[in-house]
Amino acid sequence: MLREWLHRLWGSLRRNARERDMEEELRRHLEFAAEHEGSERAARVAYGGVTQAMESIRDQRGLPWIDNLVFDLRYGLRTLRTNPGFNALAVSILALGIGANTAVFSVVNAVLIRPLSYNDPGRIVSLTNPHTSGEDSSPLDVKFVSVPNFQDWHDQSSSFEAMAFYYSWENPVSTGATAEYARVAKVSPEFFRVFAVAPAIGRFFSTEEMKPNSNGALMIGYSYWQNHFGGDPGVLGKTIRRYSAAQKIVGVLPPGFGFPDETDLWFPDNDDSPSFHNRDAQNHLVVGRLKPGASIERARTEMTAIAQRLQRQYPLTNKNRTVAVTRIQDQMVGDVRSTLYLLLAAVGVVLLISCANTATLLLGRATVRAREIVIRAALGAGPRRIMRQLLTESALLALLGGAAGLLLAYGGSRALIALAPADLPRLAEIGIDGRVLAFTLGLSILTSVLFGIAPAVCASQVELNDALKQTRSVIGGMVRIRGALVVGEIALAVALLSVSGLLIKSFIALNSVAMGFRPEHVLVMRATGPGSIRDTNIFFKDVVAQIRAVPGVLAAGATMTLPGHIGSSGYYFLDHLPAHHDNLAPDAANAVVTPGTFAALGIPLKAGRDFNDGDTVGNPRVAIVNEALVRKSGSGADVIGRTIFCGFDSEAPMTIVGIVGDVRENGPARDPAPECYMPNRQHFYNNTSLSVVVRTAGDPKALEATVRRLAHDRSSDVPVTFTTLESDVYQSFAAPRFRTVLFTLFAGLAVCLAMAGVYGVMAYAVGQRSGEIGIRMALGASAGSVVRLVLRQGLVLASIGLALGLAAAFSGTRLVRAMLFQVKPNDPSVYFLVAALLCVVALLASYVPAKRASRVDPLEALRQE
Amino acid sequence: MSNTKSQQRNQPSKTEILQGTLDLMVLQTLTAMGPQHGYAIAARLEQVSGGAIRLNMGTLYPGLMRLEQRGLVRAEWRVTDTSRRARFYSITASGRRRLETEKADWERMVSIMHALFQPQE
Repeated sequence: MLREWLHRLWGSLRRNARERDMEEELRRHLEFAAEHEGSERAARVAYGGVTQAMESIRDQRGLPWIDNLVFDLRYGLRTLRTNPGFNALAVSILALGIGANTAVFSVVNAVLIRPLSYNDPGRIVSLTNPHTSGEDSSPLDVKFVSVPNFQDWHDQSSSFEAMAFYYSWENPVSTGATAEYARVAKVSPEFFRVFAVAPAIGRFFSTEEMKPNSNGALMIGYSYWQNHFGGDPGVLGKTIRRYSAAQKIVGVLPPGFGFPDETDLWFPDNDDSPSFHNRDAQNHLVVGRLKPGASIERARTEMTAIAQRLQRQYPLTNKNRTVAVTRIQDQMVGDVRSTLYLLLAAVGVVLLISCANTATLLLGRATVRAREIVIRAALGAGPRRIMRQLLTESALLALLGGAAGLLLAYGGSRALIALAPADLPRLAEIGIDGRVLAFTLGLSILTSVLFGIAPAVCASQVELNDALKQTRSVIGGMVRIRGALVVGEIALAVALLSVSGLLIKSFIALNSVAMGFRPEHVLVMRATGPGSIRDTNIFFKDVVAQIRAVPGVLAAGATMTLPGHIGSSGYYFLDHLPAHHDNLAPDAANAVVTPGTFAALGIPLKAGRDFNDGDTVGNPRVAIVNEALVRKSGSGADVIGRTIFCGFDSEAPMTIVGIVGDVRENGPARDPAPECYMPNRQHFYNNTSLSVVVRTAGDPKALEATVRRLAHDRSSDVPVTFTTLESDVYQSFAAPRFRTVLFTLFAGLAVCLAMAGVYGVMAYAVGQRSGEIGIRMALGASAGSVVRLVLRQGLVLASIGLALGLAAAFSGTRLVRAMLFQVKPNDPSVYFLVAALLCVVALLASYVPAKRASRVDPLEALRQE
Repeated sequence: MSNTKSQQRNQPSKTEILQGTLDLMVLQTLTAMGPQHGYAIAARLEQVSGGAIRLNMGTLYPGLMRLEQRGLVRAEWRVTDTSRRARFYSITASGRRRLETEKADWERMVSIMHALFQPQE
């Protein structure tokens, strides 16, 4: 077998010499035969012609597919060159389809497919404690775990090699004179073992450094090391100041490790405050590493059992509380997954449409090339041979399209990154890698088969007799196939357009929800007070007062968390605090603000008063609640003057002095929840970092320099960062915007391609029917009636496509139900608009061919016939 | 052109019969008659079959080439009795071995078929 192949390979390589040899042998054969048969002609009738025999011999001689491939490629390239306009069109249509797919796949690849760059990432899991009842628990309540609960999980479980808790935030640190924000994380002892990571240089924390109230130590991230210490190995032993304490750097983590959230500095969580021993104080996130061979199911079963034990043991804090074990990659991806799959489906449909479009183009070409194909068939090329030739040409087109698409995708994935929500996991990893390249190559080949097969089969089935006599009947079949393809294109475009219509409508609904505050014209300065609580209080009080005096400033204040975010939440009680309460008590978001904040944010004061400079630690404790809290507790405006207890920093009673409007802290799609505001100067621990909010008359960015100078003049050691409330809110709409914009873009692309398809088919049909139209006009048909005739034909195609597309959309939009807000998947107005739009598009696309048809000169047309 | 087509349609059996047995026939002919050129092989088969088998060049030469590629026959240009150049095919040692096994297989198959066609007693 191998020997035969080697011979054949040799045959392929030494073609010309062997070719001459074979031809001579065949001629000798005919000479001998002629002597016996009497004439050369008789010999040829008996033994066949040299040319046909050579064709069979070639198949046996070389590796035929190599020979043919080389031939087909050469031939294909020549065809490409002879028809640059047509091929440029086909390649760009394919490039759009393949490029869009590659771009979206590069995101899917980075976010969903490529494993996290940790050691054996499949074994790293997160542990959370949702309520079994599910519904009422806030996101914070689910994710955050108390230290005593963690300790029990850790000590009682056997499925984990390591389990750790951590907490991360932005914190000013200084390596030299000035402080700047860095991402810091405090971690429990086994944290680094969870990720099975080893320090690039130095070591991890010692047991001594992890002990409560010890001096602690620091690990720094690789890029922090490069950026702040120039990669100097002498960094070990240097100190970084965090608040007032200086801590020693003991190690550097390897490049690429930044868990969680691209952390710069890690330090041991050697806190020993009361909250550490409070089962109710849920302040930490938990990760674990499964033992080798321990399945996640086993871990789930084990943790559920432990959770049930804890429920019985500590009913007050753990009632209905279970444990959820999730692979870290799945948890990071979260609900992005469905959005990405949706987009992948959309670009898949776009690709199908561009395939159909290219197929109709090729069918059009095939009719032009019918003669060439017939001649090749007549010269002895079998149907399979012709099909292979045409498919090779398709593959060439598709590969060119794929290459162009790759360029598009390169630009496109950058645009995707720019448009993507900033909290899209693994955003930085998006790019073109080997897997994306393989995907594009595979897709190009698949595409070439998809769009090439119909034209190829169609052309290869040419009946020689019919074809040589007249090419019409061949063409008839092709027109029908093209019609079917265009109907398919329209149907797919309609389906995409319907989904995008629903998403747009939903997005508009989302944007018109009253958020409860006015985000426009608000400058935000995040700042962390200098040193002591006293200094910090004075700093914020003075800075806010000075900002208020700046011309163009309408109001100013400062808040712990910007509207649209929840920094903390906990139980609340009115009038009196029960001696025992369980974790099912009503829950409110807690916020700390300075006087004037509500005015600056545009949150209306509904009753009572705002905080003022008298609400300080020496005076009676006060609070302001929102209307949702008033509603939920079943009271009215009489709630002012009553006492409230909040599970925030202390359980001391506070007098309610005001009621403000609701803010949708959990995003526009969720109803406002109860919220309790407290004055910053009565709550020390949570007011070191505040966002100063400044409502301005004009462009808020214009005041940034002034505000920055004021803060610096007040205290040069205060790190500040600036943004606007509008851009912060913009981010919270980023996910729905991302999918709506992209989906609409793809739907638009689909409609354009379908429109081009309708145009192509109609133009072609008009060309084919020019004779018939000429006769009609000769018999007295008016130009108007001819236009109507063609338009009607276009509309028929469009309505069949529309009907199919609407049916598909109707059954398919259920899949996006979860992404819709205040819009039902069968919203009739959306479907009506889509249908109307499609009819207009089809009419437009048919109008130009129709107009041309009406200008047919009857005499000219009849003469051609 | 239409002729070629209908011919192919009416007599597909000829080439199909030959497909499996052509190798065997060629090898046997070369064993019996010694080195021969292509036309002589075709003429011999036609003669033996009483005209039933007439090998088209497009069938014969790919077949010979296949045998050559598998090392069952060897080919070289020689001069015929009538002093003309022709490409002569001769059987190789492994060709002879192949012929023996193919022959045995063929005979076994024939006897099986024969037994099958016998009326049941």
